[in-house]
Amino acid sequence: MMKTVKTAVLLAVAAGISACTPAVDKTSDGHVSDGKSLHLSNLEAGIWVDPQGCEHWIIDDGLEGYADLRRTPDGKPVCNSDLPRNVATGPFKEGSTFGDPI
Amino acid sequence: MLILKVNKAIALAAAATAALSIAVAPVSAQTGQRTIKGERYVPTIWVDPDGCEHWVMDDGAEGFMTPHVTPDGKPVCRRGKICGVMPTDQFFATDKHFINAAGRQRLGEFFQQAKANGARSFVIAGHTDSRASDEYNIRLSERRANAVAKVARSVGARINDIRAYGERDPRVPNTSAANMAQNRRVEIYCLR
Repeated sequence: MMKTVKTAVLLAVAAGISACTPAVDKTSDGHVSDGKSLHLSNLEAGIWVDPQGCEHWIIDDGLEGYADLRRTPDGKPVCNSDLPRNVATGPFKEGSTFGDPI
Repeated sequence: MLILKVNKAIALAAAATAALSIAVAPVSAQTGQRTIKGERYVPTIWVDPDGCEHWVMDDGAEGFMTPHVTPDGKPVCRRGKICGVMPTDQFFATDKHFINAAGRQRLGEFFQQAKANGARSFVIAGHTDSRASDEYNIRLSERRANAVAKVARSVGARINDIRAYGERDPRVPNTSAANMAQNRRVEIYCLR
Protein backbone atom coordinates (compact mmCIF):
# COMPACT_ATOMS: atom_id res chain seq x y z
CA MET A 1 0.00 0.00 0.00
CA MET A 2 1.49 3.31 1.10
CA LYS A 3 4.48 1.43 2.41
CA THR A 4 6.51 2.10 -0.74
CA VAL A 5 5.89 5.82 -0.48
CA LYS A 6 7.05 5.78 3.13
CA THR A 7 10.03 3.69 2.14
CA ALA A 8 11.06 6.18 -0.51
CA VAL A 9 10.75 9.08 1.88
CA LEU A 10 12.65 7.22 4.56
CA LEU A 11 15.43 6.37 2.14
CA ALA A 12 15.80 10.03 1.32
CA VAL A 13 15.85 10.88 5.00
CA ALA A 14 18.28 8.07 5.75
CA ALA A 15 20.64 9.45 3.14
CA GLY A 16 20.37 12.84 4.78
CA ILE A 17 21.16 11.38 8.19
CA SER A 18 24.21 9.47 7.11
CA ALA A 19 25.55 12.72 5.75
CA CYS A 20 25.68 14.23 9.20
CA THR A 21 28.13 11.50 10.33
CA PRO A 22 28.34 9.89 13.74
CA ALA A 23 25.76 11.44 15.93
CA VAL A 24 28.04 12.38 18.79
CA ASP A 25 25.20 13.99 20.64
CA LYS A 26 22.61 11.27 21.10
CA THR A 27 20.44 13.46 23.24
CA SER A 28 18.61 15.34 20.54
CA ASP A 29 16.69 14.52 17.43
CA GLY A 30 18.87 15.75 14.60
CA HIS A 31 16.34 15.44 11.81
CA VAL A 32 15.46 18.47 9.86
CA SER A 33 12.93 16.85 7.58
CA ASP A 34 10.59 15.13 10.01
CA GLY A 35 8.98 18.08 11.70
CA LYS A 36 10.35 19.30 14.96
CA SER A 37 13.96 18.69 15.88
CA LEU A 38 14.11 18.93 19.58
CA HIS A 39 15.85 17.78 22.68
CA LEU A 40 14.73 14.28 23.61
CA SER A 41 13.55 15.37 27.03
CA ASN A 42 10.59 17.05 25.30
CA LEU A 43 9.08 13.90 23.80
CA GLU A 44 5.32 13.57 24.10
CA ALA A 45 3.97 10.18 24.99
CA GLY A 46 0.75 8.33 24.56
CA ILE A 47 -0.25 4.99 26.05
CA TRP A 48 -0.16 1.70 24.21
CA VAL A 49 -1.76 -1.34 25.79
CA ASP A 50 -0.12 -4.67 25.00
CA PRO A 51 -2.10 -7.84 24.25
CA GLN A 52 -1.90 -8.85 27.95
CA GLY A 53 -3.36 -5.54 29.10
CA CYS A 54 -0.21 -3.86 30.44
CA GLU A 55 0.42 -0.20 29.64
CA HIS A 56 3.47 1.21 27.87
CA TRP A 57 4.48 4.75 27.04
CA ILE A 58 4.63 5.14 23.28
CA ILE A 59 6.23 8.00 21.41
CA ASP A 60 6.37 8.63 17.69
CA ASP A 61 9.08 11.20 17.19
CA GLY A 62 8.88 11.28 13.43
CA LEU A 63 11.52 8.87 12.20
CA GLU A 64 12.13 7.19 15.55
CA GLY A 65 9.67 5.42 17.70
CA TYR A 66 10.14 4.80 21.40
CA ALA A 67 8.28 2.64 23.86
CA ASP A 68 8.85 1.81 27.48
CA LEU A 69 6.96 0.07 30.23
CA ARG A 70 4.77 2.13 32.53
CA ARG A 71 5.44 1.29 36.18
CA THR A 72 4.05 2.20 39.55
CA PRO A 73 6.59 3.46 42.14
CA ASP A 74 7.01 -0.06 43.52
CA GLY A 75 8.47 -1.09 40.15
CA LYS A 76 5.59 -3.27 39.00
CA PRO A 77 3.92 -2.83 35.63
CA VAL A 78 0.58 -1.11 35.22
CA CYS A 79 -1.66 -3.90 33.95
CA ASN A 80 -5.38 -4.73 33.81
CA SER A 81 -5.76 -1.56 31.82
CA ASP A 82 -9.20 -0.13 31.18
CA LEU A 83 -7.96 0.94 27.74
CA PRO A 84 -8.44 -1.38 24.76
CA ARG A 85 -5.70 -3.93 23.97
CA ASN A 86 -3.38 -3.34 21.00
CA VAL A 87 -4.44 0.28 20.78
CA ALA A 88 -2.37 3.45 21.25
CA THR A 89 -4.09 6.49 22.68
CA GLY A 90 -2.99 10.02 23.47
CA PRO A 91 -0.69 12.59 21.91
CA PHE A 92 2.09 10.19 20.97
CA LYS A 93 2.50 11.56 17.43
CA GLU A 94 2.82 15.16 18.55
CA GLY A 95 6.54 15.17 17.84
CA SER A 96 6.02 14.50 14.17
CA THR A 97 4.74 16.34 11.16
CA PHE A 98 6.26 13.56 9.10
CA GLY A 99 3.59 11.77 7.08
CA ASP A 100 2.91 8.39 8.60
CA PRO A 101 0.77 6.46 6.14
CA ILE A 102 0.34 3.42 8.37
CA MET B 1 13.48 -1.58 24.80
CA LEU B 2 13.83 -0.35 21.30
CA ILE B 3 11.40 0.09 18.55
CA LEU B 4 12.78 0.13 15.09
CA LYS B 5 10.19 1.97 13.10
CA VAL B 6 11.90 1.86 9.81
CA ASN B 7 11.36 -1.36 7.93
CA LYS B 8 14.15 -3.83 7.70
CA ALA B 9 15.40 -2.98 4.22
CA ILE B 10 15.68 0.67 5.10
CA ALA B 11 17.34 -0.08 8.37
CA LEU B 12 19.95 -2.13 6.59
CA ALA B 13 20.52 0.55 3.99
CA ALA B 14 20.85 3.18 6.68
CA ALA B 15 23.11 0.94 8.74
CA ALA B 16 25.36 0.36 5.76
CA THR B 17 25.87 4.06 5.23
CA ALA B 18 26.09 4.75 8.93
CA ALA B 19 28.65 1.95 9.39
CA LEU B 20 31.19 3.91 7.39
CA SER B 21 30.97 6.90 9.63
CA ILE B 22 30.88 4.85 12.82
CA ALA B 23 34.02 2.96 11.86
CA VAL B 24 35.86 6.25 11.51
CA ALA B 25 35.46 7.19 15.12
CA PRO B 26 35.62 4.20 17.47
CA VAL B 27 36.09 5.16 21.05
CA SER B 28 38.60 3.09 22.92
CA ALA B 29 39.13 3.65 26.58
CA GLN B 30 42.20 2.41 28.37
CA THR B 31 41.44 1.37 31.92
CA GLY B 32 44.36 -0.34 33.62
CA GLN B 33 45.23 -3.39 31.49
CA ARG B 34 41.81 -3.58 29.97
CA THR B 35 41.05 -1.95 26.65
CA ILE B 36 37.39 -1.51 25.89
CA LYS B 37 36.36 -0.86 22.35
CA GLY B 38 32.99 0.73 22.01
CA GLU B 39 31.04 3.65 20.84
CA ARG B 40 30.14 6.40 23.21
CA TYR B 41 26.40 6.49 23.95
CA VAL B 42 25.50 9.18 26.41
CA PRO B 43 21.78 9.27 27.10
CA THR B 44 19.56 12.06 28.17
CA ILE B 45 16.57 11.71 30.44
CA TRP B 46 12.95 11.72 29.40
CA VAL B 47 10.40 12.16 32.14
CA ASP B 48 7.14 10.32 31.53
CA PRO B 49 3.75 11.82 32.42
CA ASP B 50 3.89 9.99 35.76
CA GLY B 51 7.12 11.87 36.60
CA CYS B 52 9.41 8.83 36.22
CA GLU B 53 12.68 8.94 34.32
CA HIS B 54 13.76 6.99 31.24
CA TRP B 55 17.14 6.94 29.49
CA VAL B 56 16.74 7.99 25.89
CA MET B 57 19.15 8.20 22.96
CA ASP B 58 18.73 9.13 19.33
CA ASP B 59 21.33 7.52 17.11
CA GLY B 60 20.24 9.06 13.85
CA ALA B 61 17.86 6.54 12.37
CA GLU B 62 17.18 4.61 15.57
CA GLY B 63 15.89 5.70 18.89
CA PHE B 64 16.55 3.86 22.16
CA MET B 65 14.73 4.05 25.44
CA THR B 66 15.09 2.10 28.66
CA PRO B 67 13.89 2.85 32.19
CA HIS B 68 15.99 4.62 34.81
CA VAL B 69 15.73 2.33 37.83
CA THR B 70 17.37 1.90 41.21
CA PRO B 71 19.30 -1.37 41.75
CA ASP B 72 16.21 -2.91 43.33
CA GLY B 73 14.21 -2.31 40.18
CA LYS B 74 12.15 0.65 41.27
CA PRO B 75 11.69 3.50 38.81
CA VAL B 76 13.44 6.78 39.57
CA CYS B 77 10.69 9.39 39.72
CA ARG B 78 10.87 13.14 40.17
CA ARG B 79 7.78 13.98 42.10
CA GLY B 80 5.85 11.79 44.43
CA LYS B 81 3.87 9.70 42.05
CA ILE B 82 2.11 8.09 44.95
CA CYS B 83 -1.11 9.97 44.87
CA GLY B 84 -2.26 8.90 48.30
CA VAL B 85 -0.62 7.36 51.32
CA MET B 86 -3.03 6.53 54.07
CA PRO B 87 -1.37 6.02 57.41
CA THR B 88 -3.16 2.88 58.51
CA ASP B 89 -3.28 3.94 62.16
CA GLN B 90 -5.92 6.49 61.20
CA PHE B 91 -8.16 3.88 59.62
CA PHE B 92 -7.43 0.54 61.24
CA ALA B 93 -7.06 -0.75 64.77
CA THR B 94 -3.97 -2.87 65.48
CA ASP B 95 -4.16 -6.17 63.55
CA LYS B 96 -7.58 -5.27 62.13
CA HIS B 97 -8.76 -4.49 58.64
CA PHE B 98 -12.17 -3.00 59.41
CA ILE B 99 -12.69 0.62 58.30
CA ASN B 100 -15.34 2.54 60.25
CA ALA B 101 -17.98 4.81 58.68
CA ALA B 102 -15.93 7.98 59.16
CA GLY B 103 -12.91 6.32 57.55
CA ARG B 104 -15.01 5.06 54.65
CA GLN B 105 -16.39 8.57 54.16
CA ARG B 106 -12.91 10.12 54.10
CA LEU B 107 -11.56 7.51 51.73
CA GLY B 108 -14.58 7.77 49.46
CA GLU B 109 -14.05 11.51 49.18
CA PHE B 110 -10.39 10.97 48.41
CA PHE B 111 -11.19 8.63 45.51
CA GLN B 112 -13.90 10.92 44.15
CA GLN B 113 -11.54 13.89 44.25
CA ALA B 114 -8.79 11.90 42.52
CA LYS B 115 -11.23 10.82 39.83
CA ALA B 116 -12.29 14.45 39.33
CA ASN B 117 -8.59 15.30 38.92
CA GLY B 118 -8.33 12.84 36.03
CA ALA B 119 -7.40 9.50 37.57
CA ARG B 120 -8.75 6.69 35.36
CA SER B 121 -7.98 3.94 37.81
CA PHE B 122 -6.02 3.01 40.91
CA VAL B 123 -3.49 0.52 42.24
CA ILE B 124 -3.60 -0.15 45.98
CA ALA B 125 -0.63 -1.50 47.95
CA GLY B 126 -0.73 -2.49 51.62
CA HIS B 127 2.31 -2.32 53.95
CA THR B 128 2.98 -3.06 57.61
CA ASP B 129 5.81 -2.54 60.10
CA SER B 130 8.18 -5.39 60.98
CA ARG B 131 6.47 -6.70 64.09
CA ALA B 132 4.92 -10.19 63.86
CA SER B 133 5.85 -12.71 61.21
CA ASP B 134 6.46 -11.91 57.59
CA GLU B 135 3.66 -14.23 56.53
CA TYR B 136 1.18 -12.71 58.96
CA ASN B 137 2.08 -9.21 57.78
CA ILE B 138 1.61 -10.09 54.13
CA ARG B 139 -1.89 -11.33 54.93
CA LEU B 140 -2.71 -8.31 57.12
CA SER B 141 -1.57 -5.86 54.46
CA GLU B 142 -3.61 -7.74 51.89
CA ARG B 143 -6.77 -7.57 54.01
CA ARG B 144 -6.25 -3.85 54.54
CA ALA B 145 -5.57 -3.15 50.87
CA ASN B 146 -8.70 -5.11 49.99
CA ALA B 147 -10.72 -3.07 52.49
CA VAL B 148 -9.51 0.16 50.89
CA ALA B 149 -10.26 -1.20 47.41
CA LYS B 150 -13.78 -2.06 48.52
CA VAL B 151 -14.41 1.54 49.58
CA ALA B 152 -12.93 2.77 46.29
CA ARG B 153 -15.22 0.52 44.26
CA SER B 154 -18.21 1.63 46.31
CA VAL B 155 -17.74 5.16 44.95
CA GLY B 156 -17.21 3.94 41.40
CA ALA B 157 -13.41 3.96 41.29
CA ARG B 158 -11.75 1.39 39.04
CA ILE B 159 -9.05 -0.72 40.74
CA ASN B 160 -6.34 -2.11 38.46
CA ASP B 161 -4.49 -4.11 41.06
CA ILE B 162 -4.29 -4.82 44.79
CA ARG B 163 -0.80 -5.57 46.17
CA ALA B 164 0.30 -6.80 49.56
CA TYR B 165 3.87 -6.12 50.65
CA GLY B 166 3.61 -6.81 54.37
CA GLU B 167 6.85 -5.70 56.00
CA ARG B 168 8.99 -6.25 52.90
CA ASP B 169 9.01 -2.72 51.51
CA PRO B 170 9.42 -0.30 54.43
CA ARG B 171 9.56 3.43 53.75
CA VAL B 172 12.04 3.94 56.58
CA PRO B 173 14.00 1.48 58.75
CA ASN B 174 11.87 -0.05 61.51
CA THR B 175 14.14 1.42 64.18
CA SER B 176 11.72 3.49 66.24
CA ALA B 177 8.04 3.70 67.07
CA ALA B 178 7.69 6.76 64.83
CA ASN B 179 9.37 5.00 61.91
CA MET B 180 7.20 1.93 62.34
CA ALA B 181 4.11 4.12 62.24
CA GLN B 182 5.33 5.51 58.89
CA ASN B 183 5.71 2.00 57.58
CA ARG B 184 2.15 1.04 58.52
CA ARG B 185 0.41 2.40 55.45
CA VAL B 186 -1.70 1.74 52.40
CA GLU B 187 -0.35 3.40 49.26
CA ILE B 188 -2.66 4.45 46.49
CA TYR B 189 -1.29 4.98 42.99
CA CYS B 190 -3.51 7.10 40.77
CA LEU B 191 -3.32 6.31 37.06
CA ARG B 192 -4.27 9.07 34.65
